[in-house]
Amino acid sequence: MRNNSSGGGSSRRDGQGQGQGQGQGQGQGQKKFYFSRRKFCHFCKDRIQFIDYKNSKVLERYVQETGKILPARVSGACRYHQKQLAKAIKWARHMGLMRFTEGQQG
Amino acid sequence: MKRQFEIGFIVAPDISEEEAEAVLQSIMQLLEKAQASVEKVDNWGRRRLSYPIEKHQEGIYTFIKVEMDSAEVAAIERRLKLNEKVIRFLILRLDDKLKKTNKLVKKWTRNDRLAAKRRSEEQGSEDEGALESQDDSEAREEDNEE
Repeated sequence: MRNNSSGGGSSRRDGQGQGQGQGQGQGQGQKKFYFSRRKFCHFCKDRIQFIDYKNSKVLERYVQETGKILPARVSGACRYHQKQLAKAIKWARHMGLMRFTEGQQG
Repeated sequence: MKRQFEIGFIVAPDISEEEAEAVLQSIMQLLEKAQASVEKVDNWGRRRLSYPIEKHQEGIYTFIKVEMDSAEVAAIERRLKLNEKVIRFLILRLDDKLKKTNKLVKKWTRNDRLAAKRRSEEQGSEDEGALESQDDSEAREEDNEE
């Protein structure tokens, strides 16, 4: 919306202006947003203070098919939550709520 | 000093409901003696285990949230360990873990405040001229990157 009002003024950069406009539309009022998809910590977004190990449904999303814990670079979790997550997954494994490896179908 | 704890344990599935209840009662007695204040007792009942534990495929889950003296943990741990019907247990202290995340909550509230401020500022400078110059500077930045 914002870009349209100023787009007429700078016709030379029209192509670039449009590309930028798409990014801006999503990140309005936020930091500048060049890529359409950017990783972020879902636990921070949902304002979760402490990750519960009993909630294995959530934890399942953060393990590979083989049962390995996803690294933060893939999961997108911030360092606080990644640490909590790893702990929670390990506790859940101990209590038989999650598997350790692939072939452990009871 | 009172601390917050969460006690979780799994009882073997090959016993009757009454016996499972008896295990819970024995721990509740211990807690009562320790003058602990029980906040919540979560009874999940029978649940399939993700992997066999002591050759059992199922387990009866119970979780107790409690506030008690940390010196009493050892007694409860011993009771759970000696009971052969209990196949797994886990005792966690919760209050220190919540304390650690206070920093996180502070960050969130700060970010919220900043976002609200930015939003109000944006609404304040709605006139065309300001926006145009802003967009121009952004476009120039992108030029530099290329």
